Amino acid sequence: MIAHQFALIKREIWEHRSVWITPAAVASVVTFVAIAVVVMVAAFGEAFHPEIEKIADATIPDVMRRAALAIILLVNTSVFVMAMWFLTIFYCLDALYTERKDKSILFWRSLPITDAETVVSKLLTAVFAIPVATMAAVIVSHLLNLIIMSVWLGTEGVNPFRFIWGAVPLFDTWAAVFVFLLAIPIWLAPLLGWFLFISAWAKRGPFLRAVLPIAILPILEYILFKSWNLGLAIINRLAIETMPIYDINELASGFDEDHLHSLLEQDISLVSLLDVSGFLTSVEVWAGLLVCGLFLTAAIYVRRYRDES
Amino acid sequence: MTSLVTASNVSKSFGDIRAVDNVSFQIEKGKIMGLFGPNGAGKTTLLKAVLGLTDCEGQLSVLGLDPFKQRKELMQNICFIADVAVLPRWIKVSQLLEFIESTHPNFSRARADELLSRTKVRKDAKVRELSKGMVTQLHLSIITAIDARLLVLDEPTLGLDIIFRKEFYANLLNDYFDGERTILITTHQAEEIENLMTDIMFINDGRILLDSSMETLPDEYVELTTSGEDADRARQLGPIYERDVFGKKVMTFEGVDKEKIAGLGELHTPSVTDLFVAKVKGAAA
Repeated sequence: MIAHQFALIKREIWEHRSVWITPAAVASVVTFVAIAVVVMVAAFGEAFHPEIEKIADATIPDVMRRAALAIILLVNTSVFVMAMWFLTIFYCLDALYTERKDKSILFWRSLPITDAETVVSKLLTAVFAIPVATMAAVIVSHLLNLIIMSVWLGTEGVNPFRFIWGAVPLFDTWAAVFVFLLAIPIWLAPLLGWFLFISAWAKRGPFLRAVLPIAILPILEYILFKSWNLGLAIINRLAIETMPIYDINELASGFDEDHLHSLLEQDISLVSLLDVSGFLTSVEVWAGLLVCGLFLTAAIYVRRYRDES
Repeated sequence: MTSLVTASNVSKSFGDIRAVDNVSFQIEKGKIMGLFGPNGAGKTTLLKAVLGLTDCEGQLSVLGLDPFKQRKELMQNICFIADVAVLPRWIKVSQLLEFIESTHPNFSRARADELLSRTKVRKDAKVRELSKGMVTQLHLSIITAIDARLLVLDEPTLGLDIIFRKEFYANLLNDYFDGERTILITTHQAEEIENLMTDIMFINDGRILLDSSMETLPDEYVELTTSGEDADRARQLGPIYERDVFGKKVMTFEGVDKEKIAGLGELHTPSVTDLFVAKVKGAAA
């Protein structure tokens, strides 16, 4: 069973190369932008990124340097988060559709693997494989970004080992980012379940068939009941800021300069800002997983019982 | 004899159309059963029921299992190639072998490697880069390397040129078939498997027209080429079908006493194709 899942997820990565190409492409673009920023700063003497100046400023306290470095890494990460959001949704829409479109489904079904195993492997790809691939790209991108800044600081006569590598809260940031990346598909689970179901069910045009009900049902609700509950619930799910894993205001204030000054003696830990147990015990999360389970069951049923030819 | 497939009163309807209509038959171990029928006769539906891809009414048992309910167990011991079960085009040959090795308990990677080394299929090629003939070679190699008790082939050589078709059946007999394994095959090119199969079944309009072993077929069916008054006399004996060939009459008889018609013309055993036409047209008349 577990050996099957490994083989199936591996197959997903072979087939859907976007699972690793997307984060790799984002890493390339982000690195290119980082080089461009440093070159601009070096050429014009002007920092486009105010945080970069702070790093090189020997007069500011280490805690602020740490925070500035963490912010640079998080800004970098936010691009990956957005890309992963799109990647996960489009992967789920594609996952059970292409095997029917290219007619390979009967071949896959000629092997001793149940439909449930196959459908679950597609969800696991979205929930684990995509965040892991994204995390790997984030780590590479962070290191490249720091190396680029080190080279620049070195040419400015500033010691990068002290100001960058000695200050950057690398493992704390990575741990926080990884937890965050793993939480995203769990938060999106009801929508991912819906997309997988449409992917298994739609004869053609899965994108429209997945998106139209999401757009039309809230409008119907408004016409019939003059309320927006469904629409708000969907938007709430699609937005990553609303994940009950952290309080965005609290997080923002953690990096507020005044707040930082008052925290001079303390270390800011990104991990400590995440409320993992709160997330895992949240009713919203479990309700979402339940909805995901229902759609997943429907997807398995369709793949199992529908005659494809 | 152990029966691998037992169907009794199997039916399958799509709306008002009865694609398979109250069909009963058995396939015994070690047989090569050829299944023939015109398009829309119910062949593919019947095969799908055997493979557990569709449910049906009546009793159907394959390797002692209910094919629809116990698909996973069934697929450990059944292989199939259908013209619609295409190999995924994006996959590399090496990836395909790795995947099957890790998911199929009865697959021998060494055997597949050995079989493939005799072909021009490269391990690092993607399926989409292979010709249709090579894809079929690849598929057959994979299936031959699976120690399965029943192989179902639905139009396996459709669209292949004659060299590949000949080679396909030669390999099937030499590498796959060992007297222990059982094959159920459908094809339009009946003459290609005529010397290969041990049993034969005709299906039309969802019903079985003929179910016989190839050995007893010559005893049961005979074709008479005749003309003139002999033809009239022969006609009185009730041929199931009659056709004109170069101004002569060719009549197909079923279960007739050969001595009775021996003097009326030239006797021979009908080819599978001719017999098929005779049975289908004869049943329609």
